[in-house]
Amino acid sequence: MQRPLSSFAFAPAVKVKLINAGFHTAADLCDLRPLQLSKESGISQQEAVEVLQTVRHDASQGAGAGSRMTALELLGREQAMGAIVTFCSALDSVLGGGMPVGKTSEVCGAPGVGKTQLCIQLAVDVQIPVCFGGLGGQAVYVDTEGSFMVQRVVDVAKAAVEHCSLLADDAEQREALKVFTVEDILSKLYLFRCHDYVELLAETYLLPDFLSQHPEVRLVVIDSIAFPFRHDFEDLSQRTRLLNGLAQQLAQMANQYNVAVVLTNQMTTKVGNGQSKLVPALGESWGHAATQRLILHWEGEQRLASLYKSPSQREATVLYQITGAGFRDVLSSDHASADSSAIPSGNAPKRLRTQADDHQT
Amino acid sequence: MGSKKLRRTNLSVEICSRLHSHRIETCRDLLSLTPLEVMRVAGVSYSQACQLLKTTSQACAPKMTMAWELWRQKTGLYFPTSLAALDRLLQGGLACGTLTEVTGPSGCGKSQLCMMLSVLATLPHSMGGLDKGVLYIDTESAFSAERLVEIAQSRFPDYFLARERVAEMASRVHLFRELTCRDVQSRLQNLEEDIISCRAGLVVLDSVASVVRKEFDPSLPGNLTHRSNLLGKQAATLKYLAQEFGIPVVLTNQITTNLSDLKPATSFKWNSLEGSSLAAEDSGYVTAALGNTWSHSVNTRLIVQYVDAHCRQIIVAKSPVAPFAVFKYSIQSDGIRLEGDDDQAGPSHQGTDPGLQPIRVRSGFACNLTRGSSAIRDMRGSYS
Repeated sequence: MQRPLSSFAFAPAVKVKLINAGFHTAADLCDLRPLQLSKESGISQQEAVEVLQTVRHDASQGAGAGSRMTALELLGREQAMGAIVTFCSALDSVLGGGMPVGKTSEVCGAPGVGKTQLCIQLAVDVQIPVCFGGLGGQAVYVDTEGSFMVQRVVDVAKAAVEHCSLLADDAEQREALKVFTVEDILSKLYLFRCHDYVELLAETYLLPDFLSQHPEVRLVVIDSIAFPFRHDFEDLSQRTRLLNGLAQQLAQMANQYNVAVVLTNQMTTKVGNGQSKLVPALGESWGHAATQRLILHWEGEQRLASLYKSPSQREATVLYQITGAGFRDVLSSDHASADSSAIPSGNAPKRLRTQADDHQT
Repeated sequence: MGSKKLRRTNLSVEICSRLHSHRIETCRDLLSLTPLEVMRVAGVSYSQACQLLKTTSQACAPKMTMAWELWRQKTGLYFPTSLAALDRLLQGGLACGTLTEVTGPSGCGKSQLCMMLSVLATLPHSMGGLDKGVLYIDTESAFSAERLVEIAQSRFPDYFLARERVAEMASRVHLFRELTCRDVQSRLQNLEEDIISCRAGLVVLDSVASVVRKEFDPSLPGNLTHRSNLLGKQAATLKYLAQEFGIPVVLTNQITTNLSDLKPATSFKWNSLEGSSLAAEDSGYVTAALGNTWSHSVNTRLIVQYVDAHCRQIIVAKSPVAPFAVFKYSIQSDGIRLEGDDDQAGPSHQGTDPGLQPIRVRSGFACNLTRGSSAIRDMRGSYS
């Protein structure tokens, strides 16, 4: 009731007129009618109606108008949301089951290390039917770099379909396989090609509407978010502001529409003390944007994935490789110094089944 | 699309004039503001500001396609290079709509490869070409029309028997000589019109590095960021053109000596072919030029390097569809020829950072007296 009028979301001109007419808090407006308000303050009748409606709506909501829930409810929600597997069981166990739905994750890496491959693998894996332990959802792929190649998606999709058909042993799974073919996978993958940051921002404003029209989308990939923002800006503070706004919108979208948002970032060379090292691009403040951060890097000839930032999982590093079939584990027979989390990919089928069991219990 | 004027979107005239007084004319200007700023400049409430942003977004957002539609149009996805093993690995050839970079030491054959691809692009579809024109932007004066004709006549002797065909092929290759950064920039900005009028199916930029390295000294403060920005803009322009017209873009790059400690494992087995090891006199090693950011910008990176005085290799260092692989090749009168058996010991699933991959340069100068042949042949390399 004591809320000052300047904190409401009115147009600036309307605010000025109300304050000049002597109305300072919401309590002053409670009992007024639109005609009287418009005469006293000089705003139009339409605007007076809007003002009164906003004030009354705010008053009726009382304290704590935002969504509130107990931690128990949140636990139930998080468990129900699930995760998207990556087919690399070591990485899945580090991530706690896969890429979490409802949160934003960032994947950074040097060029050629496999960020786009991981994104393509996730875009196929999100479509795995529920009876196989997947999410049975659709995917949105926002491509800013031009690295999305349909041939590669076809290869990965074929391998995924083959993998699932080897696992199918009851009637329900065989039924589900009939709608899980390469053509189906391709037709549930929505592609947007953005050429600069303006198109990317525009797309982000329009994505919530798209997601409400397509409620089955469970994954939004932006590959990459760094490329359009790295060369067009003379004013770096403007870039930081825009990136922060973008991060907020994406986090809100992930939460509201129950999608996993995966962003790809590049690495930049930071020179200091006569040494140069690779750090994620877009600056320090961008590091706070995503909930989870995964860094892919080279170690000699091998590719490693490190979980760098996560609110619920411990930091760990695993080996992975990119095969013709997509993103996979490195078989432990190849490496004498395998760490204990490098489960051979032969175990992956069992993992999918147990996830299905978890969902059923 | 970001430069679309606000007047042409569905915004009301009154709002447009209010924004105009704050010098906000295009979609880009409006979308670069946060909703609070939009409230202030347009004089509207918060929900109206959000609606305003949405309307503007609808005017300049890209259209949605489904991956399935892309897959349906199976032709036009790649440009075969006529090097069979390489095409098989790259799942058909150079991908259309992306940037392919060829980098390596001087004299290794980058310009030769570009000229060979130019000939291939002008061939009709029945012979595996694109039946289109070629825009060749030459910054090093390495393009030679005689060599182009020689490659054409040696590689397809039956087809190019008639002189009119040779003339037609040569007339389809449009050459632009640009010698400064500014010229290259303006040429790229006007490239759209050239592509349409010449009906181009291939754009070659040979080379990206030479003009940039001449004009930007990275040791001076601020120059490095300026150079990266310029390269980023060039890459973005080329990617936009490649995507919109569905054509491949080939770039060449140079090499630089990297003196940092970020050295990958030098016992990498591909480099120690035939027992010769990496010659490292100082603590540095040779890699592709233009830095890490540029390595991110190109979609495919092919590295050409020397194995020894007579043997050269082409390495697929970065590719969205192909694993790391090495092929041997040589330069002949008909362009590039791959050598060795088809599989080259099979592609491995390992690789190295394409920005840090060490490149072998020609370490010695081996010359043999050729008996009774013309001097030009010596400069071309060894003929089998």
